[in-house]
Order: sequence, then C-alpha cells, then structure tokens
Amino acid sequence: MSGRPRFRREAAVGLALAGVYLLFAAIFWAYPFFWLAKLSVTQWRFFDEPVFTGAHNLVTSVQDPQFLQALWNVLRFLAMYVPIALGGALLVAFGLQHVGRGRAFIALCFLLSNVSSGVALSLVFTKIFSSTGPLNSLIFDGTGIRIPWTNHPTLAMLAIALVVAWKFVGYYGLILYSGLLAVPKEIYDAARLDHASPLTRLVRITLPMINPQLMMVLVFAILVSFGLFTEPFLITGGGPGDSTVTPQMMIYETAFRRLQPSHAAMMSILVSLISYLLVVLARRLFERKVVLA
Amino acid sequence: MTARRDLLRLALGGGAALFAGCSPQHAEKRTDRIRLWVAPNDAEEGFWKLAVARWNASGMGLPVHFTTIPTAGSSEDTVLSALVAGTEPDLSTNIFSGFAVQLAALSQVEDLAAMPGYAELIAKRHMQAITAGWTQDGKVCALPIYSSPTLLWWRADLLEAHGLGAPPRTYDEVYRFCQSYARSRSRYGMQVVAGRSWADRWFDFISFYYAASGGRPYLEGARALYDNQPGLEAATFMDAMFRRGWTALDFDAEEPLVSGLAAGAVRGPWDVERFAKLYPQTLSRIEVGPMVARAASGGPGSTFSDSKGVVIFKTSLVAREAFAFLAWVLGEEDLNLLWLRRTGLSPARGDLLDNPRFADYYRTSPIARAYAEHVASARPPALSEHTIDIQKIMTAKLVEPLMTGQQRPAAALAQAVAQTNKMLAVRM
Repeated sequence: MSGRPRFRREAAVGLALAGVYLLFAAIFWAYPFFWLAKLSVTQWRFFDEPVFTGAHNLVTSVQDPQFLQALWNVLRFLAMYVPIALGGALLVAFGLQHVGRGRAFIALCFLLSNVSSGVALSLVFTKIFSSTGPLNSLIFDGTGIRIPWTNHPTLAMLAIALVVAWKFVGYYGLILYSGLLAVPKEIYDAARLDHASPLTRLVRITLPMINPQLMMVLVFAILVSFGLFTEPFLITGGGPGDSTVTPQMMIYETAFRRLQPSHAAMMSILVSLISYLLVVLARRLFERKVVLA
Repeated sequence: MTARRDLLRLALGGGAALFAGCSPQHAEKRTDRIRLWVAPNDAEEGFWKLAVARWNASGMGLPVHFTTIPTAGSSEDTVLSALVAGTEPDLSTNIFSGFAVQLAALSQVEDLAAMPGYAELIAKRHMQAITAGWTQDGKVCALPIYSSPTLLWWRADLLEAHGLGAPPRTYDEVYRFCQSYARSRSRYGMQVVAGRSWADRWFDFISFYYAASGGRPYLEGARALYDNQPGLEAATFMDAMFRRGWTALDFDAEEPLVSGLAAGAVRGPWDVERFAKLYPQTLSRIEVGPMVARAASGGPGSTFSDSKGVVIFKTSLVAREAFAFLAWVLGEEDLNLLWLRRTGLSPARGDLLDNPRFADYYRTSPIARAYAEHVASARPPALSEHTIDIQKIMTAKLVEPLMTGQQRPAAALAQAVAQTNKMLAVRM
C-alpha cells in the first residue's frame, strides 16, 4: 500500500529530470533528423514548400562526378593520414613513457595543437607551404628546387594530411599512452628472459596489447577524414583540379552557395552511411580481443 | 513537493523558451522604421553612421536603424540564414551581383527598377552605363553602390631600375620587363594568379579577359563565351608567364610587392587603405597601371569591377520608404564625397572625373584617380546564380592546368567552356 504513492513520486521526479533531456533530444536531435530525412527525398529551396521527388536526390548524388571524387579524396586522405597520425601518435606515446619529470605538462602541451583553431592553423600552414614560403625557400637554398606543396594533386593532399596530423597526433598519442600504461611489465620481463628482440616485443606484445586504443584512434581517424572541412577549404580551396575537395565542402557549398539543401541532405546521409560502413569494416579487419590469461 | 513542482515548471518553461527561440521572427517586421544592414567594416560603418544620422535628423521619411551584417562567415550565408529565419532587414548592402540574382531567383528581393524615382536616381548619378551590367530582363534586383575596378599595381622604383618609365600596358612590355627583372624561381615579374578560391578568378583570368575583349561578357544566358580570341590571348599570356617562370604558383607567404618578390600584382582600391596602414613606404612607390592586354587601348582599358550593391527584401513592409532613403543617400553628392573620403571606394557613378565636387579629392590622390578613370569601363561579374560553379570550373579546367603546364591555352579554354556549358545545361 505504501509503495505505490512513493513509486509515483519517484516516477514523476524521474520523468521531470529525464524530460529535460528528452526535450533537448527532441529539439536538437530528433527534429533535425526527421527534417534531414524529409529534405533528402524532396526538393526545397529554402523559401518554398518541399516537393516530394523520391530518389531524385539519391540518383543525382551518385551520378555527380564531383561528389564521387570527394569520396575518393577521403580514401586518398586516409591512406596518407592514418600512417602519419598512427606513427606520430606511437612516437608520442613511447616518448612520454621515457619522460621523467614534467610528464603531465608535456602531455598538456601535446593537447594544445588539438584545441587550437583550425582556421588559424590553416592560415599558418598556408604560408609555410606556399611556393615562395619558408619551407620552399629552405629547400630551394639547399637543392635548387621548389616543391609545389599545394599545387600538385598528391602533394596537396599530403600537405593537408600533415596539417591535420599535427593537430591530432598529440591527442591520439595520449590515448595510446594510456594503453601502454595498462600493459603489465611482467610480460616484457618474461619476453626479455626469452631473448625477444625489441622489434619482436613491439610487434608481438605492445601492439596487440594496445589494440583497443589503436582501434579507437583508427575510428577517430576515419571520422576526422569524413568530417574534414576547414583545412582543405582554407589551404587548397579543394584544388588543384578538385583533388582535395571533401564531402563536407561539397555539402556546405551545395546547401548554402548553390542553394540546394535537399541535394546536400542526401549527400550528408550517404557520407554518414559510408563512414559507418568503413568503421565497421575497420573493426572487422583489425579489432582483436585483448585477454590477459 | 513545492520544489519538485518548481523543477517541472522550470523544465517546461525552459522548453517553451527554446521553442519560442526557434520560431521565425516575422512578428518583428515593423512599419515605423527602416532597418538597414551594412558591410561589416569600419570604413563603411563610419559612413553609414553619419548618413543615417543626417537622414534621421532631417525628418524626410521613416527613421532608419542600421547595424553591420552580423556575419560569422560570409555575408551571403548570413543574409540567407536571416531570410530563412525571417530576421532579415528591409535593406542590405554588400551584395554582389551573382548573389543578387540568386536572391531574385528565390523571389526574395524587389525589382528596384520598378520603384518610383529609380529613373531620376540613375540619371542624377549618371549610372546608365554601369547599371547595364546589373540589369536582367529589364529588372534590377540590386543597385550598385560602388565600383572597384581591378588594376595592376607596379613598384615604380623597380620598373625604373629596369628601364621602364611607366607601367606596362601590353603583354610584350610585361615580357620585356620580366626578362630583365625575374631571377630563376626566386624573383618574379608579376603575380598572375590571385589565389585558389572561386572568387579569385575575378582578379586574374576574368580581369585579363575583360581587358583583352574590351569588356565583352564571358557568359550569356546558359552559354560561356570566353573560348574566343580574347580568351585565347588572356590564357596565352598566363601560360607564357608560368612556362617562363616569370610568376610563382602562389604568393601566400608574403605580400610580394613589399619585398619585391614580384614587381606587379592585380589589386583593388581597398588595398590602398591596407597598404597605407601596413606598408606606407611601399605605397609611396606604387604606380597604378591598366590591366594589360595584347594591344594598349586608347582610353581607359576595360577591366573587371568588384562592385557591391544594395537590395530591398520582398518581405519589407516599407519597401518604398526604404527606396526613398536609398535614393537620397546615393543621390546626394555630399554623401558620395563623404563615402569616397571614408572608404576610398569609387561611388558607382559615371561622372566621377567630370564632377567638380570630386575634383579636389582626385587631385590629391593619384591612385584613387586611376581607379575613378576606370569606373565607367569596368565590368561586373556575369549576372548568373551559378557564378560559383562557373568560376570553380574556370579554376579547375583553365587556370590550374595553365599554372601546372598540363595543358596548352586553347585546349584548357575549350575544356573549361565545354564543362561550363554542360553544367549550365543541367542546372537551367
């Protein structure tokens, strides 16, 4: 008898507390989500009523060579970014292990690049990579050649990958460092007793043991790749010859410059699906269960 | 118990406030004042502050309330967002012709040519030749406020040191100067390509094309026109400069005119103020020349005009009153002179050098005079809502292949024009 009123009171409090979140989610998640879904199957130019057009936007998107190029560019970016970012992050993580005093301060310094403004970074690197910039002047003085960092399709993508890696490598490094801390020292001691070389210890112990952290970094890298906007927008403008155009740049320009929000909505759905599939594929291929027996 | 009820009220109240914040603001539309947005820069803001204060004090019409365009990215994005949210003002400045056409295609702006007093204003400002580039099917969706021709800035000291007493006017003169001035991949004759953004084509190929063609349009309806003799001349000039190493792929690292990395570069009148603040010594050595072409023109040569105009939004409840204010501001010669002094940008009027009201100003400012000379012969961008796509194609298929030497001028031109026509055929 006494439990029911109490239950109602608790339910009311719970509902009130959860209600705030539900309301927030309804306004800022569910409403935009359904509006996106509606937009993707209609034709709308901001001021008129949306007209249902079925799969028109889907067909237009998959037949749009610039959109397909942008998706291909993401894969090109990943091919350059993942090795640079993972290699750099591993160096940061191993380096931190050997730091005695001031480790927390150094770790914090690595995060500074991560919290820096992408716009500011892009402007600085635009000057650095300029064909008449300091990097090229240095190379020219030494070798007599200038490298077209932002004017060659492959080099331009590499330049962007380097800038983005510079921003994220410290952050990824701290994730991997947390993984390294969790590896029991006894395993390394045992390996040393078995005369395992440093390379063997790295490949057979360290990397498998930090697989969850490596997977986390890989997933982050994939998500960063599909969300890439500021750096190519400011450094190369998508050029040369659309070789650094990204899906996010296309979505922005299609929605707000070409005034085709419906087409942009469909592209954003496709990009989300493809990035999700790539994450699933990466996990299938590389994820391992780490069990300490 | 009371506390819980308060918590629930707070949650519901907060939600309601959020919903209210998301709703369109059409209720804000008013008929007791004219709301104006102006370009977000100090010089223009300073002008409008004085002009609006004079109008409001005169009592000639509805009072005007102005703010700068509350822009986080570009003015265009802000205006569009405001239109969607219903928070747009009655009038907005800082609108380029392509964006005005987009707004007209969306039925969001008034036809200013249909406003009472339009013809008188155009006659008073001698704008007939200028508004031709802003008129589509007899309609004018934006009225140009100022016209900023693109011209070539040259370091007079460097020209003189290499045997030129005046800025080059033809491609051959540029080539001769470059032969003397340029050093293999470390010093260049002039900056040829302005940058990577779609808008940069206004300051390289389109400027060169207008100069070569005497101001002929590069687009008509759904057809690109620049695969012609003037287009080939302009593209060949760019190609020659890159192939011979007389210009760099980009000049992003530094202002080339200051260090002499390049002796010439296309610049607009807005750079006068920038140089006066940052590089006054360099500015004192600058001489302004026309946009180069194969043959020098008799009078002021044609070039591109980076003009910005003003629109009146369809949703305005005080459109006629807003136009009356606009006609007063643009029609008053005192205010035109004030604009010139404050911003350094030439008002879009055809009598700048004939009108004695402006004579003093131009006597003391030779650079401003050079720009004023070209106002009547400068041409705005093509009136197309597909400006961005057209110029992106121009970048990817024409300018970049020339920069990297991947294609010869004729082939690059043909490819860019074909791609533009294909895109326009699908979109229009």
